[in-house]
Amino acid sequence: MKENTYAFVFAVIICVVCGVLLSFFSESLRPQQELNQALDIKKNILKAVVLREPIPVKAKPQDVLEIYNLKIEEAVIDAEGHVIAGETPAAVGNGTHHPLYIYKEGGQIVAYAFPIVGQGLWSTLYGYLALEADAVTVRGITFYKHGETPGLGGEIEKDWFQNNFKGKTVYSLKDNKIWPIAVVKGKAGDLCSGEKLNHCVDGITAATITGNGVTEMMDREIRKYDPYFSKVRKL
Amino acid sequence: MATATQTAVWTKDHTKIIRDGLWEKNPITFQVLGICSSLAVTTQLKTALIMAAGLTIITAFSNLVISLMRNFIPNKIRIIVQLTVVSALVISVDQILKAYMFDVSKQLSVFVGLIITNCIVMGRLEAFAMSNPPWKSFIDGLGNGLGYSAVLVTLGVIREIFGSGSLLGFRVIPEAAYAAGYMNNGMMVLAPGAFFLLGCIIWIQRSISKYSEA
Repeated sequence: MKENTYAFVFAVIICVVCGVLLSFFSESLRPQQELNQALDIKKNILKAVVLREPIPVKAKPQDVLEIYNLKIEEAVIDAEGHVIAGETPAAVGNGTHHPLYIYKEGGQIVAYAFPIVGQGLWSTLYGYLALEADAVTVRGITFYKHGETPGLGGEIEKDWFQNNFKGKTVYSLKDNKIWPIAVVKGKAGDLCSGEKLNHCVDGITAATITGNGVTEMMDREIRKYDPYFSKVRKL
Repeated sequence: MATATQTAVWTKDHTKIIRDGLWEKNPITFQVLGICSSLAVTTQLKTALIMAAGLTIITAFSNLVISLMRNFIPNKIRIIVQLTVVSALVISVDQILKAYMFDVSKQLSVFVGLIITNCIVMGRLEAFAMSNPPWKSFIDGLGNGLGYSAVLVTLGVIREIFGSGSLLGFRVIPEAAYAAGYMNNGMMVLAPGAFFLLGCIIWIQRSISKYSEA
């Protein structure tokens, strides 16, 4: 009996000590962590839109923020594709409003970027997709958060995979309808031909489900933004 | 004399502890622990290195902490106490990395969880730290971590070269070889490839170190 009491007291002490330790770390480091996350997102938006003058490798956080504020215009659109004045992406929830980032160079729109989210094999994939000013051609794509297997599904964060998207199109101007990009099982060059090749990218060996996840998220997210982009295309 | 050997910072005992971890009682080839993570993270050398460093540090420090508490831990709940200490350590480190070394923490992403559940950590706590003084336990953690690292790095090098034709992301197999019909071995990127390789490594290591089941 005495033994049990001791074990119980010991367990309580361990729990309290570990709990206090963890909450101390979590609370005291949170502001810095949130800052890092916000900066990382901005870096990824800048990466997706492919700046004309790339960010120097050794750029300090302040420099990145400065470039971001200078080049990127934040907007929020609703389900019908109207820009909602006075709303910022930070305030957007999971509803029908979607954040949009517009990359401008000297007042001219160069690219549109928007977040893409979808389910991979093990985890949710988060990234940004950027379209050229024509709202048809992909300018860049990034994935900044995922929990896929390194070397397999994790390859989505690699340049070789992301570069394959550049120049592909998400819309068929001939048929006037959305035609999202699909990640194929194998080489796009072998499996797709003609116009279809503009809507296919190489898959990742041994990561078919992650690839399917990317295909699915591209489809869903592009449809979300199409009301807005269809207006852009008519201009 | 007896007290002198006990307080000495480094003796033959310590060297033996390191040697055991690295070679004679290597956690992977002798104890056959930590197989899961050694298959999962060795498709590339870089991830293997990160995991190896993470595990070595965590094993050493959790050994130290548990060894300090070993005389107070009630036997009935020792496993859960060990697990709590390991998890608390790992999560604290992860939080610090997220705040001050964000890029590193992004690299580690999935590995943090893998470190907590790695059998080597718990194995060393049970087998060594519970019955040995703190400094020796710390050394034992280091030795086993390094032994694990050695196998991981070997696997990572072989798998990245033959599976992706590169090393640490740099191309080592020239484009000319691909043009001449050379192809990356797809098996190397997959878990079964690692399993066969690991089997061979265990076989080689055991025949050199004269291990026998008897």
